[in-house]
Formats: sequence, structure tokens, C-alpha cells
Amino acid sequence: MSAGAEAPGPAPHVELRRVSKRYGAVTVIADLSLAVEKGSFTALLGPSGCGKSTLLRMIAGLEEITTGQCFIGGLDVTETPPAKRRVAMVFQSYALYPHMTVRENIAFSLSIAGASRKVQNARALEVAHILQLEALLDRRPAELSGGQRQRVAIGRALVREPEVFLFDEPLSNLDAKLRVQMRVELAKLHAALKTTMIYVTHDQIEAMTLADRIVVLDRGNIAQVGSPLELYNHPANKFVAAFIGSPGMNFFEVKLDRIEAGAAQVVAPGGGVARARLRAGAADGQLELGVRPEHLAILPFERADAPLKGKIAIVERLGNATLVHVDTPAGLLVVEAKGDVAAAPGAEVGLALDEAQTHLFGADGAAL
Amino acid sequence: MSAGVEQLSARIDAPVARRLARLRRFDRTGLIITIGTLALAIVWAFPLYWAVITTFKHEYETVKPGLRLWPEQFTFENYAQVLVHTKIGIWYVNSIITSTAVTVLVIIMAAGAGYAISQLEFPGRRVFWWMILASFMVPIPALIVTHYIVLSQLKLINTLAGVVGPQLIAPVTVIIYKQFFDSVPKDFREAAVIDGANDWQLLFRIYLPMNWGITTALAIITFIGAWNLFLWPFLAVSSEDKMNITVGITQVHDAFGVHYARDLAVAMLAALPVALVYLMFQRRVTQAIMLSAGIKG
Amino acid sequence: MLRSRRAERLTAAALMAPFAVVYGVLFVYPTLKMVELAFTNAPLIGPGAWVGFDNFRRLTVDRLFSTAFWNTLYFVALTVAPSTLLGLVVALGVNRLKGWLQSVVLAAFFLPYILPVSCVFHMWNWMFDKDFGVLQYVLAPLNGGQHVSVFRTTPYFLPAVAFITTWWLLGFNVLLFIAGLRNISREIYEAAELDGASRWTQFWRITWPLIWPVTVLVFTIQLILQFKIFDQVYLFANFIVRYDPSMVMVEYIFKKAFQQNMGGLAAAASVVLFALIMIISVLQYQLLRARGRR
Repeated sequence: MSAGAEAPGPAPHVELRRVSKRYGAVTVIADLSLAVEKGSFTALLGPSGCGKSTLLRMIAGLEEITTGQCFIGGLDVTETPPAKRRVAMVFQSYALYPHMTVRENIAFSLSIAGASRKVQNARALEVAHILQLEALLDRRPAELSGGQRQRVAIGRALVREPEVFLFDEPLSNLDAKLRVQMRVELAKLHAALKTTMIYVTHDQIEAMTLADRIVVLDRGNIAQVGSPLELYNHPANKFVAAFIGSPGMNFFEVKLDRIEAGAAQVVAPGGGVARARLRAGAADGQLELGVRPEHLAILPFERADAPLKGKIAIVERLGNATLVHVDTPAGLLVVEAKGDVAAAPGAEVGLALDEAQTHLFGADGAAL
Repeated sequence: MSAGVEQLSARIDAPVARRLARLRRFDRTGLIITIGTLALAIVWAFPLYWAVITTFKHEYETVKPGLRLWPEQFTFENYAQVLVHTKIGIWYVNSIITSTAVTVLVIIMAAGAGYAISQLEFPGRRVFWWMILASFMVPIPALIVTHYIVLSQLKLINTLAGVVGPQLIAPVTVIIYKQFFDSVPKDFREAAVIDGANDWQLLFRIYLPMNWGITTALAIITFIGAWNLFLWPFLAVSSEDKMNITVGITQVHDAFGVHYARDLAVAMLAALPVALVYLMFQRRVTQAIMLSAGIKG
Repeated sequence: MLRSRRAERLTAAALMAPFAVVYGVLFVYPTLKMVELAFTNAPLIGPGAWVGFDNFRRLTVDRLFSTAFWNTLYFVALTVAPSTLLGLVVALGVNRLKGWLQSVVLAAFFLPYILPVSCVFHMWNWMFDKDFGVLQYVLAPLNGGQHVSVFRTTPYFLPAVAFITTWWLLGFNVLLFIAGLRNISREIYEAAELDGASRWTQFWRITWPLIWPVTVLVFTIQLILQFKIFDQVYLFANFIVRYDPSMVMVEYIFKKAFQQNMGGLAAAASVVLFALIMIISVLQYQLLRARGRR
């Protein structure tokens, strides 16, 4: 079941129509439709096994589409072999040919196509210049660092001047610092080239920082499609709400007291009363309230109007923020406070919620 | 330091001291083992040394009583005799031709078949693979009779081609190639396919170059095996002109009676090329041997 | 992956064709023919009449065949276990050496394996020579001062050839054992040393169990190899006027096919040999798997 209606606009550059993927008796993806705008940076985000890599490979032509169609630039490429689809892919492991120099790696597609040595060298030089690889052109992949190898992999894709760039978790093999650096490089690359890019990752920070639009996938289905801030502020279901944002959203069960305009009065575990935003008209049954750590605040324990009360379990001081883990009747909740905060483990405190920033979820996980 | 701590450290020291003493004893046993190994190595190398040194002695010296580890008179006359009185030149040529032919053909066929079975889908793929695994179990000496029959039907008995034929059955080589091609990560293939490569380009520009080491290793060991083969060339060829060198040197013995130094000289000449190949490519040879044994395990 | 079925099949056909032809002509057909031949009374070249299991029956009563059979087993017993164990012992010793010394010593053991069999024959023929062989200095005192004609004396023949074969092939075993020993992490031995294990305990409780798969591998490779023995035995036996008593199975096949022109009978013997080796291979596989599960 696909979610995320598309507003009418220019024809999508890449489109998957009602595709499904079956391996024998196992269905990995069922009836999924997706449209990617030209020039956009779209992230396919989700945990392992959600089907994001499969989707990417279906677009590339490396996996057969069991049913459904794939369109690139308006042409039906469902049966077209990968080489003819005008896509280029950067693999997670880079897949740099170890026995070839950087120059030969980059120019490989050209030599397959029969281009002359001169043309190959010229184009490789061009690409190397864009990625600052000129000094490394005669080295072998084994002599390069992780970040350099990644750039060569990107260069190999660049040289083909594709219509669509496909990235399969390209940063996951890099250490944390390098990852942040390369993120910036990729963002700059996209700004410079303005080519359509589809990017698979399980890291929501990468998706949030790089993408114009994020497609969140849950076990072969689209959970939500939207811009990073849309997904952050208005998650359509509990899955997206939990997946996006770090540290993750707090969840606890609440009982519905009464419904007012645009809000619901609920009772939290422990008896405290709170108001939560309600966009749907009605709410019924078991409800869950979600609130992000930065939308919780610590109050003195004596405050009678605090919806939740509890005892501080652990304090994590990050320098620019403090994460306070509080044991409450609603479970262990995380509060994020700016700067350094005087909080000691064992202290009893109350918690306040920013009511405008709360989310209610029904029994089926959908946002209310 | 308090008395308690001293007592404690004394209690710890005792077993440690015992262990150190044992370690020192270790080294004594270790030394004995090392000396033993070296002694055995010398014993092992002796026959070869003795044979080589005999070839540089005059005939009369070889039959003199007493043990001389170095010739009284160093001479090349035995080798000269061999070169003049035997057909060693022809035998060398035959060996080179057949061994090279076997090596080249086996490598080409095995690499091609290994690639096809590993990477391509085609009807009968399973059947071929099982056939190769099966041929592994059939001992070639058991087939000498039917090989002879088949080759005589093809009128290839007593020809170099006939000598080459049965040697082209090299299941281990195919199996090794297939395993190495299997172990090339799929990413490389996919990346090359997206870049537009077809299977021929994949084989010659990616798969083979990435596995150049084992190609060399397999080629060397195939060459050595082909050079050293005795039974089949012995059966397949009856005229001296077509013999390869390993068969030829047994004929010298029969034809010329007992001339110790000269017989040894011709035997040494037969072994010289492969010994040189081994000494030059030690690493590759040992690598190939371990690979083929790994297949059998 | 999307790929053109036709192109793939054509490429596969081109790559497999030469191989398939060679295999068909030189393996499949000969194997089938061998089995077929075993049931006929054909000579070496030419057709023969179907005789059912007659050849196999003849084998069971043929004294020469049973001699060859038992000789083969005798030879196997003399070479396989000793050379396997010796290979392990030597590997343990060589593995302790380092650098160029190790290379040289390894070469000393391995170089014989590279030599062609006829070369080995000449070398040892000379060493054992009745009149002038250097080994007579060792053998004569054991024989009451008299020189020993090793290869003409029936009881000494197979043991001597077995000894020579061990010399020839030991390097192969040593190599495999060294590879296996290198796979055992140093840390296990270091932990054992800290636990106070003696050298013998270390060998018996660590090395032996961990090297067992290699031991089985070497043992079975040697076993299969020695069952097929022919070259050395034939070459050394050429001295003897009556070399029947020392005959081994492949020699039997050779004699029946190429000297007595009895193709059918030789094929039957081949089938027996083939079956024996198959059984051993299967046993090896089971043995490896069983021990591995422990």
C-alpha cells in the first residue's frame, strides 16, 4: 500500500509504477509506486531489510521487477538492460577494480564503449579535476584512503554523464569524521551538477542533511514521503516518528479524557493530565503520545501541574546539550536540554510537554 | 613494603619462577628439534646431491671403492656424451612442445569453462559441473586402456598430439577457476555491467586480471605435471623420435647398458628444467599445490 | 540482473564448447567404454563378444590378480601412514624455522617432489646399486658383509620402492601440514603456555586435534595416489626376470592390456580399481565430516 500522494507538477524523472519484487515465495516489495522529480536529491531511508537497496537496484536494472513498470525520463525501461538506462551507481563497497589505476577505473565505461585513449584520458582528467583526484590518477585503489576511494567511485559514475545518479549507502564504510566531510562534498556535488540523485541509506542524519525529499520505507512499503522537516514535524505514523530524529522520540500510552478543538485532553500514566495536538477529528481506543526530547522540560518536583513525574536515572552531558534520562510511570523518557543543566541522578523531578509539539498515534500507528 | 605484601609477592614469584625455568628448558628441547630437522633435511637432500656430484665424476671414479663427496677430477664428459650419443635434443623438444601445449590448452579451456559455470546461466550447467566433480574421482590410470583405444581410433598413437590428448582432462584446474571466479564480489560484475561490459569483456578485463596470480600458479604446476608425466607418454609412443624426455631417459638405460655417470647425467638433464622452474617460482608452486589439495579436501 | 538470454547462451556455448568436446571424447566416452569393455572379451584393439561377469569371475581366481591386489595393499600400508606421520613431524620442525633457513630446508624436502619419476628411478637405482651403490655401505654390514641386490630380492623389492616413494613425495605432505599449522593461531599456544602446558601436551591437546582435517586430507590423498602406483614399480622391476611377485594393480592392467592383449580383462581390473578408489573417497568424506562435528 503506498502512501504519500504526489501533488501534480512536472512529469517525474524516475517513476516506479506499482512494482513488486518476489523471490520465489517471498514477497519483498508489494505494489509500490514512487515518483522522483528531475534534479532532486531523494533519499530512500529505512532499517535493514526494508527493501531500499532492492528498490534502487530495480531502478538500476540489477534486479528484475516482478510486476510493475519503471520509467526513466518518460521511457519505459522495465525490460532495458542496465547499461542502456543512462544511470550510474556508486556501490557501498565502491567496487573499484583493484588491478586498474584510478584513471583506468574512471575511464572504464569509456573504454568499454570503444572511445580512443585520448578521449578517455581527457574525460578522466576532467572528472578528476572536479573531485580533486588529479594527483592520484596513476595510483591503484589499494594505495588510496577510504575517502579517496569513494571519490574515485563517484568519478567513475560521473564520467558517464548519466541522467540519474544512484548511491547505495556510499558512506557507511567510512569513519564518523570522514562521513561528515563526505556528506558536505556530496551536497556540494549535487548543487553543482543538479542531476537527479537517488540515495539509499539507513542513517537518518544523512537523509535529513542531504535530501530534498525522503522516502521512508518499512518492510517493503512506503511509510511516508516528504521533505526532511515535514517528516520531522509531521510524521504520518509511529514508524516514521520513531525513525527520524536523534535521540528518538519518546512514546508512552495515554488514555483519552475528552476531545476539544484541535486537541485532546489525555491522562498520562501516573495520573497527570496533559493536552496533546489532535489533527484528526476523532480519536478512539488505545492512544500513544509521542514527544521529542527537546520538547520536554524539567520542572521542580513540587509543581502540581506537571503531567509527568519521575526520578532522574542518568545524565549525559554533550557540551552543547544535556540528555537527562528520567524514570517515570510512563517509562524511561529522554529530555534534551540546551547547554549544561544542573541535574543529578536520583533527583526527583517533574516533566512538562510542549503541547503544540506533541503527536498522538492510534492503535494502528497512524498519526491522529 | 609491608610484610604481608612481601609474603604475597613471594607466593606469586614461586610458580612464575617455575614457569620461567620450564621455558628455559623449552628452548633446549626446541634446539634439539631444530637440529633434528636440519639433520633430516641434509639426509633428504643427500640423494640428489649424490646423483648430481656423480655426474661430474669420470666413470672410472664412480666405481672406485670409498666415499668421495667431491669428485677427484671434475668433468663434464658425461654430459657431453649424453648430448652426442642420445636423442636428448629431440626429447627436450618433444617435452617442451607437449608440456607447453598442455599448459596453454588446459588454462584456456579451464578458465573459459570455469567462468561460464561460475557466472553464466545456460542449460546443462548443473550437468557439466557434476561431470567435472565426477571426473575427479576416476583415476586416470584406470582409463589408460580406453584412452589407448580411443586414440588409436583417431590414429593418434605415436604422435605428439596423442600424448597431449588425455592430459587435457584437468578437473582440478576448472574447479579452482570456478571457485576463484565465484569469490569475485558481485559488486564488480554489477559495476562493469552498468558500465556496459559484455561477458567477454568481463572475463578478459575483470575476472582474469583480478586472478592473475592463480593463473600463473596453475600454469606452472600444469607445466611441471605435464613435463614429469611418465605412464601415458610411455604407452602412447613407441618410436624414440616421438618420446618426451622422461620416457627417453629410461630408454638410454636399456640401450647402452650400465654407464652410471652418464645415465645419471641424462636423468639430471631431464629434471633440470622443472627444478629451475620450481626454484624460480617457489611461491607460486606451493600456492598451486595447496589450492589443488584444498579442492580434494 | 537483466541480461539477454540469447547472448548469454551463445557466450556460454563458445566458452564451454572446446572443454565439452575434450571431456566427451577423453573422459565420458572412455569411462563408459571401460565399463562396457569389462563385460566383453575384447582384445586391446578391436571388438569382442559379450561375456557378462566372466571377466570379474576370472579376476577372483587369477592368482596374479590377487597378488597384484595384495601387493598394492601392502605397498599402501608401507607408504601412506608412515609418510603422513613423518610429514607432520617434519612440518612441525620446519615450521619453527624462520626466514631463509626455512625456505632452504623446505626446498630440501620439496625438491624431490618436482623430479620426474624416471629421474628418481635413476638416482636411487644408483644409490642402491649392488656393486657400487653408496647405500651398500649401510646395507652390507646388515647382511653379514655381503652386498645386497635390493631389487632382485623379492622381499626387499616393495619395501625399497616404498622407501623411495616416501622420499619422493614427503615434501607434498610437509607443505600441506605447514599450511595447516600456520592456520592455528599463535595465541592458542601462548594461552596454553601460560596455563603451564608442556610441549607434549600442547601437541597432543592442541595441534593434533586442530590439524586433524589436514591429516585426514593428506592421508587420503596419499592413499588414493598409492593405489594407482605404477611408474616406480615398473621401472625398478625391469631388472627382475620374474617380476610377477612384486606386481601392483596398475601393472596388472598394463600387462593384461598391452602385453597380453586382453582388453576386456584389463578393463575389468580397471573397474575394480576405480571402485576401490571411489569407496575410499567416500569414506574420507565421511570421516572428515564425522570428526569435524565432534
